[in-house]
Amino acid sequence: MDLLQQSNLPLAAVSEGKEIGWYIFFYSGLTIALVLLFAALAKKGLKSRVYTYLPTRLAEHLYLFLEGMTVNVIGPQGKKYVPFLLALWTFIFVGNVMGLLLAATPTADWSLNIAMAIITVVYVQYEGIKQNGVWGHIKHFSGPKLGGAMIIVSGLIFVVEIVSECMKLVSLSLRLYGNIEGGHIVRTSLDSIIAGIPIGGVLLPIKFFTCIIQAFVWSILTCTYLSIATAHGHDEEHEESHADHGHHSAIAEAAHA
Amino acid sequence: MESIAVGIGLAVGIAGLGVGIGQGLAANGGLQGMARQPEAAKQINNSMLLALVFLELVFLLTFVLGFLLMGKIH
Repeated sequence: MDLLQQSNLPLAAVSEGKEIGWYIFFYSGLTIALVLLFAALAKKGLKSRVYTYLPTRLAEHLYLFLEGMTVNVIGPQGKKYVPFLLALWTFIFVGNVMGLLLAATPTADWSLNIAMAIITVVYVQYEGIKQNGVWGHIKHFSGPKLGGAMIIVSGLIFVVEIVSECMKLVSLSLRLYGNIEGGHIVRTSLDSIIAGIPIGGVLLPIKFFTCIIQAFVWSILTCTYLSIATAHGHDEEHEESHADHGHHSAIAEAAHA
Repeated sequence: MESIAVGIGLAVGIAGLGVGIGQGLAANGGLQGMARQPEAAKQINNSMLLALVFLELVFLLTFVLGFLLMGKIH
């Protein structure tokens, strides 16, 4: 909404304060085209033994950064999710940055964000079902195993978990929408203080920072959801029993000493 | 009508106040933990960012609510 605001280019057809409307298809298509162009450029430099081509180096850094984050949150078995996270990161980042240069942002429209949130949450459910089976995934929602009359509590936990699963859609999409659209509103209102002087340009650096942070936040939240959905119940029990043994032996040693 | 405008201002202001204090506390805890245990900095950083993100959501919900109420002013 910033640089091309005064121009008559078709890119500036969406002026400030108006709904983006059907232009959302143009802008999200442009975002996808830019991401694919970057990927194609990065692929060109893969042949050399040491990556010296700039797009390839950037892509490598980005990949390593996301891989480190995934391994940190999910563990080494999470490496297979990195391409999905990379796709989300690049799409959101390019879409956000587009708002700093062009007339509109695809990510400042709630419809695109809710679509991306639906893709993310459905993918997480799919991965959970693939890891634990349908029944195991449903059992996942009912919390820890409780016996006897406590089954009512399990039912309540189940309902709460289902509601929170649906709230993930709202929270993911509203976070991105609120951050990007909020930045635009603040900038527009700063601009209107003195007519003709765009004071809101002061905010451009912090808006760029928000662009990076929001892309990162979406991927780290996807990571966390994946780690919760794909966790095995049995492994945790094993770990707990090991920890218990270790604890007991430490206490025993202390008692001996 | 004026009451709605005052309400939006109050809501966003109070939400900003609370979320600012909350995020400050979260960042304080995270940074202190990182300074004391630099080897665990990466994990603390991730958890701190998650906490900040969930705190920020409270403000954004208020923001969207205010945005929706803005349509009712005129």
